[in-house]
Amino acid sequence: MKFNLLKHTGTYTYLIILSIFVLFPLVFSFSQSLMTNQEVNRWPPPIIPPSPILTNYETVLSQPDLKLVLWLRNSLFAAAAYTTAVLLICAPAAYAFARLKFPGNNILFGLLLLTVMLPSQVTLIPNFLLMRDLKFLDTFHALIWPGAANVFAVFLLRQFFMQIPQELEEAAILDGASYFGRFRHVILPLSTNALTAMGIFVFLGHYNDLLWPFITTSSLEMRTLPVGLQILNSSYAGQYRPLVLAGAVFATVPIIIVYIIFQRRIIKGVVMTGMGGR
Amino acid sequence: MEKTDAIVTSASATKQNRQPFQMRLRTREAIAAYIFLAPFIIFFSIFVVRAVLSAVNISFYDWQILRPSRPYVGFANYQELFNDYVWWIAVRNTIIFTAMTVTGTTIIALTAAVAVTQNIPGAGFFRVLLYMPTLLSVGVVGLTWVWMLSTQFGIINYGLSFLGIRPVNWLGDENLVLPALSLTTIWWGFGFPMLIFIAGLQGIPEHLYEAAKIDGANGRQLFFHITLPLLRPSILFVTVTGVISHFQVFGQPFIMTSGGPGRGSFTVIFYLYDIAWRAFRMGYGSAVAVALAIIMGIFTLIQFRIVGRRVDY
Repeated sequence: MKFNLLKHTGTYTYLIILSIFVLFPLVFSFSQSLMTNQEVNRWPPPIIPPSPILTNYETVLSQPDLKLVLWLRNSLFAAAAYTTAVLLICAPAAYAFARLKFPGNNILFGLLLLTVMLPSQVTLIPNFLLMRDLKFLDTFHALIWPGAANVFAVFLLRQFFMQIPQELEEAAILDGASYFGRFRHVILPLSTNALTAMGIFVFLGHYNDLLWPFITTSSLEMRTLPVGLQILNSSYAGQYRPLVLAGAVFATVPIIIVYIIFQRRIIKGVVMTGMGGR
Repeated sequence: MEKTDAIVTSASATKQNRQPFQMRLRTREAIAAYIFLAPFIIFFSIFVVRAVLSAVNISFYDWQILRPSRPYVGFANYQELFNDYVWWIAVRNTIIFTAMTVTGTTIIALTAAVAVTQNIPGAGFFRVLLYMPTLLSVGVVGLTWVWMLSTQFGIINYGLSFLGIRPVNWLGDENLVLPALSLTTIWWGFGFPMLIFIAGLQGIPEHLYEAAKIDGANGRQLFFHITLPLLRPSILFVTVTGVISHFQVFGQPFIMTSGGPGRGSFTVIFYLYDIAWRAFRMGYGSAVAVALAIIMGIFTLIQFRIVGRRVDY
């Protein structure tokens, strides 16, 4: 295969500029997280640590008013539980919309379409008051249940289920499969890619949420990572910047590792979901 | 004679039998559907339908969380909102931020998507790399960029010093804080629209380009006369979802500027948070939320009118 480098110089130049734009902030934060406060507060800003140290990481992880490991665990647990809830609640609903005939189908689906146009913040105050009345504030319940009826997930999964050939289900009907059996043994196994893509989306959306966990949790032990990073920033940025950067790197590393392992699946899944949204 | 009768009877009997059987089948299907839907309907009713109706209802009361009496005040909250200059500052800021962010994001995402769908070595690697920031939490993004944008020790100002530009107070200047937050957000969020555009580009039939090339079209013409028009559905999707999501911006100003300097980066959701969770005024806060929903509904309709014409090709 012949490859004309010259013809693609422009493309490569652009891609390299974009890559530097994307990577530089991350590399810079990591590099400065290995420096002392004096080194960081210097002009010109040092990019390469003169003598790399790990004390910032030790300090940020052992500070009694910071619980980064616990916050990370809270975030991962809440996001995983939420994603499970969304899939368990929304996948069967999407199947009913995609394949089953029932009275009220159009009205219900129209209602869903209507609410997808509404910003989720409209439900913020009523759901907060409900959590308070149920004594769910500052518990995982508040982080898991209120968003579990995810309309976006229903739309995308319905779209995927509709693309599965009807004949496959008919074969199962002849074998005497029940509705649940058809869903469980025909539809679900054929939708693993769609379900994974959906799951990644839902997980990340929850993992990155700031406002809802900020207002519904109050104790240091129940905070999630985005909220915790805000606490870290507001209490340490002024006096010891590298500590804040170390916290940010600590929060980034697990995500980057997961991304490197599953990159192909994630990209493919998102592209697929994007097509569904077209 | 008797035989025919019997046949007729049996035929009508099967007819009669089939009807209830089909009906039973249909009922069974409907029952199954409702069982499949039940968990969703329960959660949807409680946390979406009830919540939206409740927000509208609460917005007509002077509902303060710390006070036991909640008098009905009609449209007073909306009147107050309409005359509240802080609200209009927040709306203005949010519109400026959204316009800059959606424009910048769409341009970078589209050009990046075109670049990584070229048939060149390393395209897959760049795709993976450019999507990475999207996975970061807003906390990480905020902490990283606050320091990059620092006036005194910021690496961005250092870079600009080579162009002879004196240190800029990005997050401390009312005119610069929104562009700075917008740049941060573009860096964070262009990966997802990029993948949407990649999906869109892969859906454009190759023979259209071949035909145009035979007619002597150059690269720019190919882009403006084939790629762009055929990407219309993707562009619509990216801009509509972009406007919806960026209009709800909260984390970046909350972490990076606390809405400042002054009210320079005070956004609509920030205002909602401020009213409901710092002043504890749930009635007024609900009026803010309902007003936000109305504004966003109008935006979405306008966008569908502008970009949505002839989305199918």
